[in-house]
Amino acid sequence: MSTTTTGQGNANRTRNLALIVIGTLIVLATYLYLVIAQPTELADNASAPAGLIAMAGYLVGAVLIAAGSIHRLSTVTIAMVPVAIALNIVVGQLVVVLALPVYLDSIGTVLISVLAGPAAGVVTGILTNVIWGLILSPSVLPFAVVQVVIGLMAGYAARYGMFRRVWLAPIAGAVTGVVAAMISAPIAAFVFGGVTAPGTGALVGMFQAWGNSLLASTTFQGLLSDPLDKLLSFTVVVLILTALPSRFLQRFPFVREYRVFRRPGVKAA
Amino acid sequence: MSTTLYVERVSPVHRLNPVTKLVALLCLLVVVFAIAQWWVGVGVLLLVIVPAAVASGCGGVLAGFALRLLLPVLAMLVLVQGLTYPGGQTVLWEWGPLALTTEGLLFAATIGARLACLVCASVLLVLTTHPGELMSALTEKGLSPKFSYIISSTLQLIPSFRDRADSILLAQQARGLAVPRNPLRRLGVLMPLLGPLVLGMFTDVEERSTAMEARGFGSTARRTSLVPVPDTTAQRVARWVMPALAAVAIVAPFVWGSR
Repeated sequence: MSTTTTGQGNANRTRNLALIVIGTLIVLATYLYLVIAQPTELADNASAPAGLIAMAGYLVGAVLIAAGSIHRLSTVTIAMVPVAIALNIVVGQLVVVLALPVYLDSIGTVLISVLAGPAAGVVTGILTNVIWGLILSPSVLPFAVVQVVIGLMAGYAARYGMFRRVWLAPIAGAVTGVVAAMISAPIAAFVFGGVTAPGTGALVGMFQAWGNSLLASTTFQGLLSDPLDKLLSFTVVVLILTALPSRFLQRFPFVREYRVFRRPGVKAA
Repeated sequence: MSTTLYVERVSPVHRLNPVTKLVALLCLLVVVFAIAQWWVGVGVLLLVIVPAAVASGCGGVLAGFALRLLLPVLAMLVLVQGLTYPGGQTVLWEWGPLALTTEGLLFAATIGARLACLVCASVLLVLTTHPGELMSALTEKGLSPKFSYIISSTLQLIPSFRDRADSILLAQQARGLAVPRNPLRRLGVLMPLLGPLVLGMFTDVEERSTAMEARGFGSTARRTSLVPVPDTTAQRVARWVMPALAAVAIVAPFVWGSR
C-alpha cells in the first residue's frame, strides 16, 4: 500500500492513525447504513445494491485499518504474525474435521492481540482470511472485517486488564462475540443470502419463517453462535497463556508496558 | 495436503500478469454484485469464467472444487430462501409457516449465481497463479513487503506447524493422554496440544526476527526485483479499461431505473 519511509516519525504516525480512523469510520458507516436504511433485498432493485455496499465498504475499511496497522509493528511482531495465522487455520480446520459446533478460527488472532497489541491482531485477522481464501475456500474472504474487529477488541481488552484474571477473559470474549455477530450479519444476509453453511442456514430459515427480516434473522443466528465461540476462544487463550512460564510472557513489550498479566514478582521491571 | 492449490500448466491464463488477473477478479465481482439480476451472474459465469478455465487447462480441477464448495450451500440456499423469503408474495405451494414463493426462488437464484462467480473466479485465480509470483507482482506495484513476507511465510509454515502438532499429540499420548471418541470431549485434548505448540513456535520467532533484521528486513529503501514479472502494454491498458466497465455497471441500474 505504501512506499514511504517509516523513519520520518511524526508525519507517518499521523498518516497511519488517519488510515485506521478512516477505515474504522467506513466499517461503522457501512454497518449503520445497512441496518438503518434497510435496503430492500432484491425483488424491487431500484435501490442501491446492498451486497456490493456490504462487501466493498467492509473490504475497503478492513484494508485501510490493516495498512495503517502494519507499519506500527516491530520486526519481532511481524515474525510472530505467520505463527498466529497458522494457529488460526490449523485449529480452525481441526474443529471442522472434528465436526464441533463452533468455529474456533480466531485463537491465533486473540493470542497475538494479547501478546503484541491490537495492531498485530488486526494484521493477523485480515491476512488469516486472505490466506484461508487462498488455500481452502474463498467464501471466507468477505468476512475479513470480522477478524479485524476481533483483533482490535482482544487487543484493547488485554490492554485494559481483562486478561489479568482468568474469569474476566471469557466476559471480554462474549462481548467481542456480540460485536462480531452484529458486524458479520450484513455479509451473511446480503452477500450469502443467509446461508454460509448448511447448519446455520437452517437456523436463518427458521427465524425467517417466524416472520423476521433477512438481516434480523442472520443477526439472531450470529448471536446464537458467535458469543459462545469467542468466549471459548478467549478462555482457551487465557488458559494457554497462564500455563506458560512468565519469563516467556514478559518478553513481549506490550505485555510489560500495559501489565497484561498479573504476575507477582515481575512487576518490578 | 499441499499448502496451495496452484496447478502448474502452460497456458495463456497462467502467463498473464498476476495483477491483471486480480484486477479482473475484483471488477468481475463488482459487476456481479452491482446488478441485482440472476442472469448477470449466470452470464459472467458462462461467458467469462468457464472459457477462461477451459483456456487455462484447469477446467476439471476447478469444476471439482466448485462442486465441493458450492453444492451444499446452494442447495440449502434454494431451500431456505425459496421457502421462507420474507418478501415473498406469489405463493406456489404452502405448508404451515413455509411457503414456496417466486420471489424467494428468484432471490436464491441471484445470490446463488453471485456466489458461484465469487467462488469460481477466485479459485481460478489461485489455481493459475503461483502465490510467490502474485506477491512479487504486488510488491512491484507498491504493496508493503511486510504483507508479502507474512503471506509467503505462512504458506510455508502451515505444513511444519501440522507436523509439530502431530508429534506433540503423539508425545502426549505416549505419556497417557487419551483421545476420546466423543467430539465434544475431544475439545479437552486441545489444551495439552496447544500449550507446547504455542511455546515452541513463538520461541523460534525471536531467532528468526534477529536473522531478518540482520538482512535489512525493516529497511524501507525501494529495492529492485530479483525476478521481474512479465507485463505487456495490452495488459496495462486492460487494467484501466476493466475498472471503467465496473464503474459503468454500478451506475447503470440507477440510469435505466430498476430493470
